[in-house]
Amino acid sequence: MRTNTTRFERIEQTIIVSALLLMVVVTVQPVLHLLAISLSDPAEVPGMSGLAVLPDGFSLDVWRLLITHPNVLRGLLNSVFITVSGTILNVVFTALMAWALSRPRLPGRRVLIVFVLVTIVFEPGLIPDYFVVRELGLLNSYWSVILFKMVNAWYLIILIRFFEEVPGELLEAAELDGANAFQTLWRVVLPLTRPALATITLFYLVYHWNDFLRPMIYLNDQAMQPLQVVLRQFVVEGDKAGMVGVQAMNTYEGASQINVRALEAGMIMLTIAPILAVYPLILRFFTKGTMSGALKG
Amino acid sequence: MSLDEKSVAAVASRFGNVPKDAPGAEFDERAVRRMQRGVKVRTWLPYYLMLAPGVLYFLVFHYYPIYLAKLAFEDFRIFGDNLWVGLKHFGVLFGSPVFYQVLANTLIISGMKILFVFPVPIVVALFINEVRNSNLRRFIQSAIYLPHFLSWVVIAGIFIAALSPSSGVVNEITGWFGLAPKGFMTDSGSIRWVVVFSEMWRSAGWDSLLYFAAIMAIDPQLYDAAEMDGANRWHKIWHVTLPGIAPTIATLFILNVGLFMNAGFDQIINLSNDAIRDQIDIIDTYVYRIGLQSGQFSLATAAGLFKGVIGMALIVAAHTISKRLTGKGVW
Repeated sequence: MRTNTTRFERIEQTIIVSALLLMVVVTVQPVLHLLAISLSDPAEVPGMSGLAVLPDGFSLDVWRLLITHPNVLRGLLNSVFITVSGTILNVVFTALMAWALSRPRLPGRRVLIVFVLVTIVFEPGLIPDYFVVRELGLLNSYWSVILFKMVNAWYLIILIRFFEEVPGELLEAAELDGANAFQTLWRVVLPLTRPALATITLFYLVYHWNDFLRPMIYLNDQAMQPLQVVLRQFVVEGDKAGMVGVQAMNTYEGASQINVRALEAGMIMLTIAPILAVYPLILRFFTKGTMSGALKG
Repeated sequence: MSLDEKSVAAVASRFGNVPKDAPGAEFDERAVRRMQRGVKVRTWLPYYLMLAPGVLYFLVFHYYPIYLAKLAFEDFRIFGDNLWVGLKHFGVLFGSPVFYQVLANTLIISGMKILFVFPVPIVVALFINEVRNSNLRRFIQSAIYLPHFLSWVVIAGIFIAALSPSSGVVNEITGWFGLAPKGFMTDSGSIRWVVVFSEMWRSAGWDSLLYFAAIMAIDPQLYDAAEMDGANRWHKIWHVTLPGIAPTIATLFILNVGLFMNAGFDQIINLSNDAIRDQIDIIDTYVYRIGLQSGQFSLATAAGLFKGVIGMALIVAAHTISKRLTGKGVW
């Protein structure tokens, strides 16, 4: 191979790799820059270059202020609660429904699948959704955001396809051994489809963690808002007073020295942190799942 | 259906060739039919119990809203029953210049995204396939998939920081070439490009995964044969790789057209501000604003319903065309 590599081909290769590395830099630099700013000495932040990816000086002031700030702390707890409880419900009910719908002889299977597909095709919009939550009395209740998208139609369809791949002999063997529908699901189907389940769990997890719209609409109480909404109020809507308010300035010695830009950067990084924590798992399960599907196809 | 479900749908379509009558279906159907009704109920009852919560969820959170969409034909009353007014709100909607503005914005932004964002992941996947060092390749992939998993609130925060006229990296770089700092986020000439570029930043990497998976599925013998015929890198891309991934490109393109009315609600609600709202206000953000912020529930429902019906026509057409063209539907 190497012997017939011409000089021209090596230049081509360099250009291709450089273009991809440029893409990596454009993707990663803005995130590293925010991390750098949040860890820099507050006095140095105003003079820092937008290109900087390393902290100028070192200080944990921003992070200390963030994790002791009542709004941020509340938001963090709310996000964790909504994400964990929402994801558990999602996975349990999606798996149960997918298992039943993956049985080819289930009477009414086709009708039920169409029943699900209709909801993908036609969406009546934001306002009717809002009125459902309102009529159920779920406004200002965590249930409104936990139950929304309890079963995602797309993920359901993916899971049905995975469950259908479980060899029928194994299911028959389990049934002959006297296993009921739940036992077959638990002991045979779920262990065999673990990568698919993991992928869907991670997707639901990311969905709940990143959701800002439903909490913003359905939860009016500031104390119930998840981190994304707190971040949105601060960075997008520009409500600086809520974050670096008088109370905070008095409470934290030297807080007035802290640059708003550094605080925003820290807040963004705090919101990204859990995603970064599960990202290696996402890469492992999802890319693997996609690849094996492709190889088979 | 949000935009990032596009990629999930595309992945779903990859698994579409699982045999329909997978093992387990191979019982004698006549024997089944001969079984007594009681046995049948006893066999399937546990499955229906497992289906029940999910079905109830779809009824309450997806079908009941369809019924409540009748609000578009009523005047909303806080006390007592709503008043049926027929097409009144649609008349108001179609008579309002703002509606045509948001409709135009929706079409322009979706069109720009298809034109400028759609081709990028194809090129990225082709390039990644040319990287021989597998560690380098994995490093590049790990980095460029990340933004897909960040919320639009976070991405808006990142872009606001990077595009800031006083401290942003972009203005710092344009400054080297003597250009005056510009507030891209508040400039009506540039905000649509911010929308396009931030979409690219978020999804070009991740979407390339779908094409890359399709490239991996191409028979390596085809490359060997091409090499024997003296094909160089570009010949192989043009005559082997591109034809190999053409069905995936077609499916995703059709799906994008099917989702044309979804110009990116989560994205635009976070990138928008008073200075440039008229440039990027789309139907979804319009519904949110007049409905949930101004309380014009009926008018907002009418606008949402208009979008829902057009969207339904597009996605059904997309599915039908995709199925006929590539044998794989959208779902």
